[in-house]
Amino acid sequence: MKAALFNPIRYGGPSPSGWPVAPSAYDLEIGQRSMLDALENLRLADQLGFDWVTVAEHHYAGFSLTPNPMVLAGALTQVVKRAKIALLGPIVPVLNPIRVAEEYAMLDNLTGGRVIAGLLRGTPNEYVTYNINPAESRDRFEEALALIRRAWSEPEPFGWQGRYYQYRSVAVWPRVVQAPHPALYMSGSSPESGAMAARNRLGLGLAFTTVPLASQAARFYREEAGKLGWQPDPDQVIYRMGFHVAETDEQAMADMVESGGDKPHVGLTMSNKAVLAGAMASGYFGKAAEEQRDRVAPRDAAERVEKGQILLGSPETVWRQICRVRDEVGAGILDLFPTVPIADRTRRSIEVFGTKLLPRLHEN
Amino acid sequence: MADQMAERNASSAFLERKLEADGFTIRYLEAGPQSGGAHALICMHGAGGLRLSRMHEILARTWRVIAFETPGFGTSKANERSRDMAELAGSLCAAVAALGITAYNLMGTSFGGKLATYMALQEGEKLQSLILISPAVFRPAERPPMATPEDRHKLMHAHPERFPVTLSNPEVDSKQETLVRRLIGPPRDPALEEKLPGLSVPTLVVFGTEDRLTPPEMARCYRQHYGNAHLMLIYDAAHRVDLDRPEAVAEVVGDFLARKERFLVSEQSGVIHP
Repeated sequence: MKAALFNPIRYGGPSPSGWPVAPSAYDLEIGQRSMLDALENLRLADQLGFDWVTVAEHHYAGFSLTPNPMVLAGALTQVVKRAKIALLGPIVPVLNPIRVAEEYAMLDNLTGGRVIAGLLRGTPNEYVTYNINPAESRDRFEEALALIRRAWSEPEPFGWQGRYYQYRSVAVWPRVVQAPHPALYMSGSSPESGAMAARNRLGLGLAFTTVPLASQAARFYREEAGKLGWQPDPDQVIYRMGFHVAETDEQAMADMVESGGDKPHVGLTMSNKAVLAGAMASGYFGKAAEEQRDRVAPRDAAERVEKGQILLGSPETVWRQICRVRDEVGAGILDLFPTVPIADRTRRSIEVFGTKLLPRLHEN
Repeated sequence: MADQMAERNASSAFLERKLEADGFTIRYLEAGPQSGGAHALICMHGAGGLRLSRMHEILARTWRVIAFETPGFGTSKANERSRDMAELAGSLCAAVAALGITAYNLMGTSFGGKLATYMALQEGEKLQSLILISPAVFRPAERPPMATPEDRHKLMHAHPERFPVTLSNPEVDSKQETLVRRLIGPPRDPALEEKLPGLSVPTLVVFGTEDRLTPPEMARCYRQHYGNAHLMLIYDAAHRVDLDRPEAVAEVVGDFLARKERFLVSEQSGVIHP
């Protein structure tokens, strides 16, 4: 197994609930410190032997200060010297796909071919950000994927007359370093996405879900791939979850309580009822609309551990929790994000994970 | 000239009617489908009086648009009876009731935005949505000069050269201005502001980016005080956003009327070619 440290750059100060959050709530000093802390944590992860560091795209709230993950990844090329830099990722249907292809190509050159290219549909609120109809997200995604792949591999300038995208000439410089292109992943909790990932031979990312639901989604993805005559390797299934490791179980829980992270909280998808209603009406969640409610239901820390949404406890306890993810989901990559937003406690948790758990993880 | 024509055409699609309410004879212009109160859009004009635009015409394709002439404006008698905005708002609520309308959307422009806010505070659940266009509820302490019709004209439009200076009747202007000055209240009104957080009706607040009379910087006050306000800035439009960019205003107002807060989520197709 491999481990990734995901750092969404959570805003370190108090941030009102809901979405979008008024920019007036942003404290400049706290925000800048949050960014520097994140860079330091990712540098530490690289030094400790984490296999990947990962970044993502979210807008208009303190949950994540990375509206453009490419910018953060650009900074990471100068900080992270060994680990792969995974973008999980740009929300492709709301972006210009040629720009996405170009930025990935830049990053692949800056890292000497250490970029992992996630292409995401994102959470439905992100469609409000750039005023894109979420009902068309899957079709946009699939066309953008084909276009990005073509832009990376076509040696001559070409035009594109798509359904959603239209270009008279495309010729991406710099070319990508990795051949034929960086490893591609998409998120795939719904059957539609799992089938799309299998159809396009992409890796599968399972995030903000539960172990039973992820297990079901990963099985479906493998079955679909099998029908098409291929089998994903273990590294092609990523399971993203929160983590906090301390010397003892009691200390880990005490840290959670101190940070307020032990209480149920409402995630981005549920933060704006009008947006959620609009997304449901658009069919955004596909056939997994019912499961979606289970995925994002607010839960306290104990329930999140039970559902496999976070790793929490001493190294021994957390190892047992990791084994469950390995055995039930079959994930080859654990993508871990800190759940205790207290700077020194987060740093300690990364250190403990890196020294006590990473070696065991790599042996499995 | 084309805009002038469009405005005349817009007006001509509306039928002029009168009703009696709360002791006033109220003139109003009406157009659009007559499909019952739920789809009515009641419009309250600004301090310059009842003047329809292409925005009203576009909205009337879908909505039953009813534009009231506030008592004391236009050809109506000078209104010396209404003692304050709340009382005037009460008369207009009575006018809505006189039409048999039990649930409706309300739009107020500039001075009419403040009047509509007072109506909203009285109507409660009857109101489905509130649209405030360049509203004058919160105003800067100082007002730019408006001594001549030319001054006023320049303030109303982002590109005044595109519109003819409208001729007005000095007697009507004087009557309206007297009433507005008497009723509009201070630029910041703590007594009113105290009540606004309780206004949970979905509210759309529209400002032109070039508005110098009610500058778009005032828009944030609505977000901070109203219970459920969404802000929309109309690029390259001044105080009369509905004359400067009628299609742009009508599109977002129409979407908000149809879908309320769900207007946040686009339903426009991005398909270029099937």
